[in-house]
Amino acid sequence: MVGPSRRMGGRLARRPRGTIMTRRLGALCALAVLAGIAADARGEGGAGKRRRPLPPEYGRVLLGEAGQGRMAPVAFDHWLHRARYTCRLCHVDIGFAMKAGATGIKPADNEAGYFCGACHDGKRTVDGRRIFEACGAGGERQACQRCHAVGLPVKPGTDFAAFARGLPRGRFGNGIDWEKAELDGQLKLVDELEGISIKRQSLTAQKDFALSPKLAGMPEIIFSHAKHTVWSGCEGCHPDIFVGVKRGATRYTMVEIFEGKYCGACHTSVAFPTLDCQRCHTRLVK
Amino acid sequence: MRRIHLAAAALCALALVAFPARGMKLPIPHEYGRVVLDAGASRAGLPPVAFDHWRHRARFTCRLCHVDVGFAMAAGATQVTAAGNQAGFHCGACHDGKRRLWGQVIFAACAGTAPPAGGGACRRCHAQPDPARLEKEFAAFARELPRDRFGGVDWEKAEGTGKITPSDFLEGVSIRREPLKNRKEITLQSKGTWMSDVLFSHPKHAVWNGCEVCHPEIYPAAAGGARASMLAITGGESCGACHDKVAFPLVDCEKCHVKPVQ
Amino acid sequence: MALLLCAAAWTGAAWPGRATAAAPGRPAAASPEGKPAGTPAWRAEFDDVCGRTQDAMAIPSDELKRLVARADALLPAVERLEPTQRKVFLRRLQACRNLFQFVLDTREGA
Repeated sequence: MVGPSRRMGGRLARRPRGTIMTRRLGALCALAVLAGIAADARGEGGAGKRRRPLPPEYGRVLLGEAGQGRMAPVAFDHWLHRARYTCRLCHVDIGFAMKAGATGIKPADNEAGYFCGACHDGKRTVDGRRIFEACGAGGERQACQRCHAVGLPVKPGTDFAAFARGLPRGRFGNGIDWEKAELDGQLKLVDELEGISIKRQSLTAQKDFALSPKLAGMPEIIFSHAKHTVWSGCEGCHPDIFVGVKRGATRYTMVEIFEGKYCGACHTSVAFPTLDCQRCHTRLVK
Repeated sequence: MRRIHLAAAALCALALVAFPARGMKLPIPHEYGRVVLDAGASRAGLPPVAFDHWRHRARFTCRLCHVDVGFAMAAGATQVTAAGNQAGFHCGACHDGKRRLWGQVIFAACAGTAPPAGGGACRRCHAQPDPARLEKEFAAFARELPRDRFGGVDWEKAEGTGKITPSDFLEGVSIRREPLKNRKEITLQSKGTWMSDVLFSHPKHAVWNGCEVCHPEIYPAAAGGARASMLAITGGESCGACHDKVAFPLVDCEKCHVKPVQ
Repeated sequence: MALLLCAAAWTGAAWPGRATAAAPGRPAAASPEGKPAGTPAWRAEFDDVCGRTQDAMAIPSDELKRLVARADALLPAVERLEPTQRKVFLRRLQACRNLFQFVLDTREGA
């Protein structure tokens, strides 16, 4: 059966309304049926927005695996340590990797004065207090639970709220502007550890430079070496994270960065997250 | 023609009744946008919280809660806890018993160490929703507001005409940033020849979401990332992260498929 | 001749990672002690070489090449350390050697 407009011979700029409506109705119903089946099968799904880690949780690295008879994993929170030490000290001098599980820390390593044991040896002091020993103390479970505490009702030694109170507020992450805290002199970062670090001169930082985004309208990124080397030195990034030897040769894409490559090696998990676009995209191009 | 229409209508009715798909349910205005929060309530012996978006979204942008405060966008994903609320996170960011908004003190969420017998003050949120009361409250709330096809509030119009002025800043929580201007309107071609193309408007969405609600978690790629089938959308992907759960329902096809049929 | 060629190959190539082939024919460094107390010869050499990373950008290219060569020469000694020390110092040596090489590559590429 054809509608009246078709019979009117030759005046067909559009399909007859009737056919469009029928098809839409059909499509809507088919979609409803399929969506019903799909939704029931999938449950509460969809990509959506994940839970953002709370300020005290941001920068948490889980070391070790849970399991029967095993020691509870360690939930290492960066915020306490990064207020006192540079990233370089731990990740270059002491030799921690930047991915959970990649370092391969064993209790024997700590007992020998490496990795956690480089500071947590029961002898070194900070602020006049003795730093507790890691993986020593005769292997008493209670002492181990000071760090091996995931899933156990262990109260953290430092209250995050009290810790963060005096520090400049930052957007996302720990809610602390670490950069400003360091610039203002609120943090006295230690970059050297006796017996571990090599005595060296201070770094002459490279100049800032601009990176142009692909997306028109996004402000340019002003990358500051000075701001980064304060925390990371050179070896923290080169060449493991930033391999490119010619400026402008490597095309960094945001997708790769969000996945943890390049800037994302730090700026998704410990340093301020890439969610804060304007932190890097600072210079509007006229 | 008539028989086809009848058959299509019957199939539709059957589909919408037999399959209570989240994707294509006809929304009940005072229940639309409800999220049931039960990360720990049942375990503590309290009824789960039935959070109705409509109360909050007249006062606050989506960005304020979902970016600045940090709520996830799926029931149970945020893992709201009483301890977290008391520490000033999640609900506790506003519901702290001290913050004043529009001349009123906002009641504290999860005050005290344990829920009192019978629930006490906890019952303000931890209670089974009373449909009759909610319907009345919604009617009073939405009296002056423009409505959509299904009786719910047309939030876009409400904001556009100034009937509501959602706040995008929470003192002590939000940090202002220079806004990134994106006036791009993107045409998404519809696969079906009988459906018009979708015109996605950045300005319309940025009013509620800023950039960070969608980018990068929902849309990581700069270009071409928005291609998702309607089926995927009804499953909560892409546009479906908001539309259909809280923002206007997907059943309202012409709200998005606005470009004329070629 | 073979030794010189091998050395040249080592200095020119990027360090392939943990699973390295033994450096051919280089004179072995002094045997290390198990504990960090005292300063064994390899450690002194390590400190001397890897203590220059902060100035890498200011070091002339032939000096950088010498530093890379010295780092490569340390490799056998580090590989012979006890497991914990080996784990730590292999990583640190790799980082410092690769940084010097990186700076060299940057200069050649620019």
